[in-house]
Amino acid sequence: MTTKGRRVSRREQHRIGGTGASVTVRNTLIAYAFMLPFLILLVVYHTWPVIFGSYLAFTKYNIISPPQWVGLDNFRELFADEQFWSGLRNSLKYVLVVPVIQVISILVALLVNRPLRGIGFFRTAYYVPVVTSFAVVGLIWSWLYKQGGAVNSVLIGLGLMRGDHSLLDNPATALFAVMFVTLWKGIGYYMVLYLAGLQGISRELEEAATIDGATRSQVFWNITLPGLRPTILVCSLLSTISAIKVFEELYVMTPNGYPAGSTYSALMYSFSKAFGGDFNFGLAAAASMVVAVVSILFGLINFRLTKGGRSDA
Amino acid sequence: MPETTLPQTTLVSDPHAQLAAQLKVQRQRRERLRNAAAYAVLILIALIMLYPFYWTLVTSLEPTGNIYEAKILPTAVSLRNYAEVFSGTTVPFWRLILNSVIICILGVTFTTTLATLAAYPLARMRFPGRDLIFYSILILMVLPNEAGLIVNYITTIKLGLLAQTSPLADAARQYLAVVLPGAASIVGLFLLRQAYLGIPQELIEAARIDGARELTIWRRIMLPLATPTIAAFAILEFVAYWNSFLWARVMLPDKNMLPLSAGLLELSGTFSTNSRAVMAGAVITIIPILIVFLLGQKYFMKGLEGAVKG
Repeated sequence: MTTKGRRVSRREQHRIGGTGASVTVRNTLIAYAFMLPFLILLVVYHTWPVIFGSYLAFTKYNIISPPQWVGLDNFRELFADEQFWSGLRNSLKYVLVVPVIQVISILVALLVNRPLRGIGFFRTAYYVPVVTSFAVVGLIWSWLYKQGGAVNSVLIGLGLMRGDHSLLDNPATALFAVMFVTLWKGIGYYMVLYLAGLQGISRELEEAATIDGATRSQVFWNITLPGLRPTILVCSLLSTISAIKVFEELYVMTPNGYPAGSTYSALMYSFSKAFGGDFNFGLAAAASMVVAVVSILFGLINFRLTKGGRSDA
Repeated sequence: MPETTLPQTTLVSDPHAQLAAQLKVQRQRRERLRNAAAYAVLILIALIMLYPFYWTLVTSLEPTGNIYEAKILPTAVSLRNYAEVFSGTTVPFWRLILNSVIICILGVTFTTTLATLAAYPLARMRFPGRDLIFYSILILMVLPNEAGLIVNYITTIKLGLLAQTSPLADAARQYLAVVLPGAASIVGLFLLRQAYLGIPQELIEAARIDGARELTIWRRIMLPLATPTIAAFAILEFVAYWNSFLWARVMLPDKNMLPLSAGLLELSGTFSTNSRAVMAGAVITIIPILIVFLLGQKYFMKGLEGAVKG
């Protein structure tokens, strides 16, 4: 940012923007003309949903007739609905993915950070799941999880499973089976972010410590990991929020909370109230609002846990 | 480690030199072992990451057999399932491909044009309200937008984008309805603003002194110099538009308008007896994204890092 909203002398104006950049009515109009198409779409599809969505949460609305203000009725209905609670519980359960994904991604990033031959191939390979759609990935894994399918062969072969039934058909395991897919798809993404973080840590510091007789693990715990703290904050924040908002993978792999409602998520509740046939947009908006509040809370918890992402703390 | 140039006899007689040589051999062996272990783990993870795709490809090529079991090589190879997905479906598969191509072209064109235009005054002009706009957009980025799908559906209907008049106009409107919600990309705006800030001010000043108009400066100076960033952003957007399915599936009244990813889910519902054909469809859906990603990998990673840091 060059200006701080204060008056600037003519000379400074010349220094900052040159002759054509002096603040004139004409230039201001030109500037707004440049931004207008972007701003219009931004307001319609980003700002308006935030405002109107918050308002809808307190109304009864089905598109056909205008919204009716009902105060906190939607929220009362939500909290009285066992299905919403179980959805919220599953969304919170999904946060279990976060620490696992972070630990594995950091380890993988350390691994592909070595100057080995052909390391570029591995980095690319790990990123392929990231760039494929959840529609495709969800379908592929629902085939792999089938009875007699590849996943079961591996699990039975390793002695981790008795009897051949699909993990997606069992209420005790279905949510975890989908979690694994989320994990599998996310590792490459966080790996790239952690790689960038690792490259930002000074090599001199690590080398100096090694020369002073620090072991590999000492270097990792005392230099590398603290240096990664800002990256850990960003990554765990991103993955926590997407865990609480989990929806797409469940929508594809276990529609409608299959089996027996065991994979119903909070956002799926909102989705089904809006698009599941009864067009209850008010209730859907209220459920979305609860999800938003919960994800903000968890974001703050993340901040506390990583000490605000300061690498020197 | 410089090689010792001492004659052999001293090496044998000098215990220190002997020890040093031994240690060196040991260290090299340890390093080799460590690398071997690293490769073993790298290969194992690569298998876990890639096998699902490979399995899908192999199974889609098999005409018959035990469909879901783990496999390394196909029992037989035929393109029957691919023919099946093109001929045996209610929604023509070529139509899904066409929809995806049109949606991606529109989407990438819109997002890059809007972002390259809007970022210019924010980076390189001075006008009242600039900081206000900049910070409002920043705040908008962190506000939770969980109700987006719901409100955008209502907006789309209220804008009349799902109205039905004539086939061609309907199609055009529905393509717009799919593309518009993502057209103003905040991430793109910040990426491009950063790129513009890196362009020397002298160039712009010189052009202004020569009487160039802002639009000319934007087209002749900003765009060419920001090309790497624009390419990175375009690839990011292509991947996003190609992969998005939920919005289209929720909103589009006409199944013939669905993009590939969404159409695939539709197929897996109606085609449940013929999963192999759906697998063929999945392979066709993955290929373009893989090609774009592999060709533009450098740009893609750059864009991704910029997007998160931005």
